[in-house]
Order: sequence, then structure tokens, then C-alpha cells
Amino acid sequence: MNEVRKPRDPVTGHIKALAKGFKYLLEPNRMTLDYPAETMKLPPNYRGFFTVDDKKCIGCSMCEMVCPPEAITMVPRIIGEGGKTLPAPEGEKETKGPKRTKRPVVNWGKCIFCYFCVDVCPVDAFIPTQVHDVAFEKDKDYRPSYEEYLKPPEEPYKNAKKVVSKADLKRGVSYEPAP
Amino acid sequence: MSEKIFNIDDLQNINVEGEKYIILQIGPSHPGSGHMRIKVWLDGDIIVKVDPDIGFVHRTSEWLSERREWIKAIPIVERIMLPDTVHANLAYVLAVEKLLGIEPPPRAQYLRSLVAEINRITSHLYGIGIFGIFLGSSTVYMWAFGDREPFIDLMEMLTGARITTSYIIPGGVRWDIPNGFKERAETVLQYMERRLKDYEDIWVKNPVVQARTINVGVLKKEDAISLGVVGPNLRASGVYYDTRKHQPYAAYPNLDFEVPTMKNGDAYDRLLIRVEEIKQSIRMIRQILKDLPEGKIIADQIYNQLNPVMKKNYEEKKRVMFPAFMIHMRPPPGEATAKVEAGRGEIFFYIKSTGDKYPYRFRWVTPSFRNLPFFTHVAVGHRLADLPTIYGSIDYFPPEADR
Repeated sequence: MNEVRKPRDPVTGHIKALAKGFKYLLEPNRMTLDYPAETMKLPPNYRGFFTVDDKKCIGCSMCEMVCPPEAITMVPRIIGEGGKTLPAPEGEKETKGPKRTKRPVVNWGKCIFCYFCVDVCPVDAFIPTQVHDVAFEKDKDYRPSYEEYLKPPEEPYKNAKKVVSKADLKRGVSYEPAP
Repeated sequence: MSEKIFNIDDLQNINVEGEKYIILQIGPSHPGSGHMRIKVWLDGDIIVKVDPDIGFVHRTSEWLSERREWIKAIPIVERIMLPDTVHANLAYVLAVEKLLGIEPPPRAQYLRSLVAEINRITSHLYGIGIFGIFLGSSTVYMWAFGDREPFIDLMEMLTGARITTSYIIPGGVRWDIPNGFKERAETVLQYMERRLKDYEDIWVKNPVVQARTINVGVLKKEDAISLGVVGPNLRASGVYYDTRKHQPYAAYPNLDFEVPTMKNGDAYDRLLIRVEEIKQSIRMIRQILKDLPEGKIIADQIYNQLNPVMKKNYEEKKRVMFPAFMIHMRPPPGEATAKVEAGRGEIFFYIKSTGDKYPYRFRWVTPSFRNLPFFTHVAVGHRLADLPTIYGSIDYFPPEADR
């Protein structure tokens, strides 16, 4: 290791450093993305905002239990028919009552996007998206109601040019138009 | 400038604070890489005493983890060591696996080492970049932080997140490597190898850097051992110790790599050792991608608990979902320790279980905390102008030390 450590001759050392700096002055190694004019198309397993499939969800509360920052709240929901048979009053037919169940709602101010909830769901009811750059205008927007939560978050800058990142031998990261 | 003018033995003569010496407060808002205050006693411009005031970013990670389910500690330990998330995650999971008695399959072991080595490179580049800005070189600061990006992209491709990956779970890992990962990794490694030569010219062997770092902040081998220094700082003082070699975990027993050591233990050696470790990490990533064994990425004990929907997902997308066991995990009563060589040194975990839903005792020691004492030791006797050099060279990360 001592040959690495040997002090360089000041003259050649400075010249080499300056020459390298000059080389990069002429050919800069830029890997910056021109956001928001260009936005990235992220890999399919990227952990972005997610919503829930109301049809698939069985209201088991597993996601609420596993959530590390306790961002998920189960809200009570009453869905159509299919509940327990209510005891019928005398002389009338037995009717099926509405089913009481629960549905998850995520507080985006607390969520850390670890996707433990998405992975713990026994029926795989969560719908992940790659949207990650949503800005909330009001404090209330962090805490959607269940109806608002069902709508997947909208991607900002829809008209931006979509690019994918690519490893580049010359520049480290380069971008090419998304397929 | 570079030789010690003040002898450490003269420290006992300091008794009247502020009368003879100027007390200088550096920080606490941001002396460099995070929130810490450095209190410096100066005789003229010669440092006679340094007192780092830590604890500004204490986040009670141990307290929080003792009041949550076992799985929920993973994001907590990650957020303490932000440049080094994978190692914190891995160390915790290794301790939990010892309690549970689960052995992850070979492919998962290799993937753990893969993501750990990618993370080590980003961590060292972070350290080199911060050291650069401490010495006033914005060039290397921008270069190092830029060159972290291809590696962070690799982590993103593999784990779905850039920094806080939460990739390693008890029993294995959460995702298999995606298509095209190997080719992309090879391109990034070749790029980094070329860039390391550029770094050599503009930074590592730059006469200005050599003049400012050689013989500055010398930590002798004996002092390094007695002060309990860990990681690259220890190896820069000539001690051959690396947890990956001495108590191997994950895939390290099967990997062929060297542990670089230096002789002098000054700031320049601490810079060189990080560059050498990046080269070794590149070598290891190549080996891992070449020898990656086939098979499952999750232990059978976990796999057998997956329901049909989850098993289908595993077969189709190579994604491991969590069985309910992950929430209701109750490791049998006992104690476990784990050691992992992180970017800045050795993480130590001690966990005690009483068979309950939560850990009974959750204790961990982070490398930055163990590297701080030698900063106060080596800075004494140097001029104030050398303080940023010494502080930058130890690659100290305050949130990591404060936990």
C-alpha cells in the first residue's frame, strides 16, 4: 500500500489534477434529470403511492397491524347485502342484513412506503403505483377519506417527457425515452 | 502545519477554562455532516482540548423498538443509519434469526451480501464527498454524490426504494433480482472503476490533499485498539480486523476478498482505505453476480406459511409476501447478538426476548459512536485549520451515533 501513499511530485501532481479538471470542463459528466420537464418511469417494483381494491379487500386489519408508523386506519364500512341473517320478527320472512366490515385508509403524512402492508395482505388487495412525487396543498389532503383514498393518486406533470434511467459507461446514468 | 505542537500529556495542566484559552463553539446547527456541536479550547490557534457535544439528534430508537412488534424495528434502525441502511437492517435481522432459529437459503445470503456491498460503496462515496467539502473541494463533493447515483439506482431496481430499502426480512429477502440487473450492474462497476482513476488524479493524489492530510490526526495502532475504534478507521491504523473475515455472515465465507490495511493511521490513510474498500466491494459484487446460486430466496419455514395467493405471487413475480407470522412473531425466550461490518465500522446488536410480542431489550451500538472518542484524542495539538480535516476523515455521522 505504500506506493499508493507516496507523495506525488508537486509539479506533475498539480498538472495532472488541472488537466483532469480541464477535461471535465470541456466534457462535463452530467447525470442530472431535467425535472419536471422530464420525469422518470420507475422500475415496476418501485414503492410509490398505493390504493386498495375495494372488491378484493376482506377487512382483516392485517395491514393496520403491520404498519410500522401506524399510518393505516381501518374505517367502518357497510357494504350491501351478504351479512348475517337477522332474526326475523314473528310472521315475517328472514332477511339478509347489510354487512359491516372495515377498510384501510392511509395517512400519507405518516406513511413511509415500506410496503409491509402491501406484502402482508392475504388477498393481495393493494394496488401499487410508481407515483412518488405528489405534493399536498392542504394539511387535510394528507388524510384522505375512504372514497378519496380509493382513487389512485394522480401523477403530476402529465405532459412531461417520460424517460427511463440507464447505466452508462461514460456518464454513469443516462436517460432515454421510455418505451 | 502538519506536526503536532502540543503534547497530549500537557492536558493535565488545563484547569482554568476561558482564562488562558479561547473556547470556540463549532455548531450545533451543522458543523459538517449532521447536527453536533464541537467545543474547542484553543491556545492561540493550537487545539488543547476538544469536546464533542453529541445527542442533538437522539431519536430513542431503542425505546421505540421495545414497544413495537419485532418486524417494525426494521424501518426504525434503517432511519438511524441513513447512508448505511442495509447494514443496520441486516444486523437486526441476523439477531432475530438467531432467536427464531431460521437459516436463510444460499441465494438469499448472496443477495444480502450483494445489496450490502452496493450500500458500502454508496456509504464510502458519501464519506469521501463529505471529506471533500471539509477540505474545501466542492468538485469531489459533487463527483462523489453524483457517483452514488448509479449505485442507488441499482438498489432501487433491486429493492424498490433508493435508500430506505427494508429489503432484508427474517428468513430471506423480499425480492429476487430483476431482469437486466446483472448487465446494468456490470456497466456501473466498469464506470466506477474508470472514475476511481479520475478521483486519483483530481483528489486522492492531488498534492494539495496530500499536504493537508499526511501526518494529520495520526492514530497509532495501540491507541486505536485501546480506544475501541472500529471499521475503516481501525484498519487505517494497521489493525487487521474485519467482521466479514473474522466472524463471517451472509455470503462472505464464500467470497474471495482482501481486507486492506494501512500503516500510518493519519487522515490520508483514512481516505485511502475507503478508496481501497470500494475496489474490494466492486470485486465482491462481480463474484456474487457470477456465482449467484439458484433456489429460493426465503427460508422454508416462512415459505410454507404463505397462502396460495402469496405463493402464486412468489412464483410469478419473485416477490416474497409476508405470512401473518411476520406480525405475530414471538421468538422463543433467549438472548441473541449479531455483528455486521457496516460502511463506517462494526454494528453490534443485542436483543433479548421473553417470548413476547415485543423485544424485551433492544440494544445496539453503532460504529460512529465508537469512532468518536478518537477524534478528541487525535485532534489535540493540531492547529484549528486541521480540525475539519480530522473531523471529515473519521467519516462521522451524528444521527448514527446518537441513535
